Amino acid sequence: MRRVVVSGYGVGSAYGFGAEALRQGLKSGRSAVKRLDGFSAYQGLHSHVGASIDADLELKSIPRIYRRSMGRVAQFAALAALEAREMSGLDDDVIKSPSTACIMGSTMGSAGALNEAFQSIVKDNNLAEISGMQFFKCVSHTVVMNTAQFLGINGCILCPAAACASSLQAIGLGMQLIRSGTIDVAFCGGAEELSALVTGTFDSLMAASCSYNDRPELASRPFDAKRDGLVCGEGAGVLVLESLDSALKRKAKIYCELTGYNTCGNASHISQSDSTSVSRCIHAALADAGVNTSEVDYISAHATATLQGDAAEARALADIFGENIPVSSMKGGLGHTLGASGALETIAVLMMMDEQLIYPTMNLDTVADDCKGLDHVSELREQSIDIFVKNCFAFGGINAVVVGRRYTA
Amino acid sequence: MDPVLKEKVKNVFVEFFEIPEEELLDDKLLFDDLGLDSLDIVDLIVGLQKQFKLDLRQHAGIQNIRTFGDVCEVVEQILEEEARK
Repeated sequence: MRRVVVSGYGVGSAYGFGAEALRQGLKSGRSAVKRLDGFSAYQGLHSHVGASIDADLELKSIPRIYRRSMGRVAQFAALAALEAREMSGLDDDVIKSPSTACIMGSTMGSAGALNEAFQSIVKDNNLAEISGMQFFKCVSHTVVMNTAQFLGINGCILCPAAACASSLQAIGLGMQLIRSGTIDVAFCGGAEELSALVTGTFDSLMAASCSYNDRPELASRPFDAKRDGLVCGEGAGVLVLESLDSALKRKAKIYCELTGYNTCGNASHISQSDSTSVSRCIHAALADAGVNTSEVDYISAHATATLQGDAAEARALADIFGENIPVSSMKGGLGHTLGASGALETIAVLMMMDEQLIYPTMNLDTVADDCKGLDHVSELREQSIDIFVKNCFAFGGINAVVVGRRYTA
Repeated sequence: MDPVLKEKVKNVFVEFFEIPEEELLDDKLLFDDLGLDSLDIVDLIVGLQKQFKLDLRQHAGIQNIRTFGDVCEVVEQILEEEARK
C-alpha cells in the first residue's frame, strides 16, 4: 500500500482568502462571526449571524470562460484550488495527467444561484430570463466540476455529497485511491456558501444560534455551557494529496502524511450524532493508521456548538482518549463551514503542526457539564503535534475521521 | 440603426461577456473576434430577452447571427415586427 502525503493547500474563510489569513485569524482569538443584517428580512429566520467572506474575491484570476459557470461556492473552491496548486508546485504535465484527480464536495450547489432561479421560476413564472449557466451553478457537483475545468484536470472527478462530512470524505477517498495505486495526485476538499437558505435549514431544526444576534462574536461556542447552536460560515479548503513516491521524485515540500481514514454511518437517527458510531469510526481510522489512542497528540473536533452534537462527540472522545489529549474546535472562529469544514480544519491542523501550537476553541468560557472529561484547549497553547485526528459528522448519521502525522522518512 | 437600441445591445455584451464597449463594432465576429462560444450564445439570447422583453429563441433570424452587427439587426427587425402587431 502506497504512502500518501499532503504537498500543498489553499483556503478561503471569513478571515479572508489565503493560508496566511486563516493562520492569523485562528491565532488571533477573534471570532470571524458577524451580524448579518440581511437575514432580518426573512420571516421565521431567528439566527441573524454568520461567518461570511466580505473581502472582494480575486475573480480576475479566473478567466471568464471558467468563471461564467461558477456560483459563489465554486468561485471559493477555484480560488482555494489555485492557491493549493501554486503551493504544491505541480507542473502542468502532472495536473493534466489521467493519474491526477479532483475530489471535492459541498452541501449543495450555489445557494445564491438557486435563489435566483427560484425568484425567476417560482415568483415570476419566467423561464426566459434564466441564464444558460444557471444549471452549472446549481448542480450538486458544481464545486468539483468547475474546479476541475479551471485547473485542467483530466483524471477522475468525484463529488462526495455528505453535507458537513463532504470534504473529509473527499480527503479520505483521495487517500484510498492513491494508496491503491489508482491515481498519483488528487486535489481534495470542499466549499460552502453562506445564505439564508442554509442557515434557515438549521434554524428550522432549532440547531442554529439565535441568542447572540447582538453579540455575534460570541455566538459560536463549541463545548461551552452557554452554547445555543451552530453559526453557519462560508469558505473553501483544498489539499493536494500525492503519493510519497511522486512527492519525493519531484522534491516537493511535504506538509504531513495521511495515514488513516474511516467513514461509517449510524442507522439510529437522521439528524443526531451518536457516540457509539462516532467511537467506531475513530477506532477504525486509528486502526487503519496503526496508531494507539495514547499516541495521538491532538484532536480537531467536529464540535459545531449544537447541544446534542457536542455532547455526543465529547462523550465518544472521553471514552476513547480520556482527558489527556488536547481537543479543540475551529468553529468558534470560522463558524460551521459545512462542506468545507473538513478540509479547512485539516489545513488548520497542518498550520498548528508547523508552528508547534494548538489553536484554541474560541468562546469556550465554561465547559458544559455534558462536554467534560477532555483536555479542552481554550487558550493558544505551545505544544508539538506529531499525530492528529480530524473528525467530521453530517446529517444522515454520517461520520468521517482522518488520521495524519508529521512526515518522517 | 437607432443608436439607443445599439447601446442597449452593447450593454448586454458588456454585462454578460465583459467585452469592452469599444470592441463592439458591427463587423466583429461573435466567435472569432469577440471570443464567445455556443454556450455564450444561449446567454446572449437570455440577455437580449431580458433587455428587450422579447421571445427571441423562436425567431428564425437568430439562427443566422455571425457578427455584432447581425445581432443588432435581428433585434431591430424583431422589435419592428412586434410594433406592427
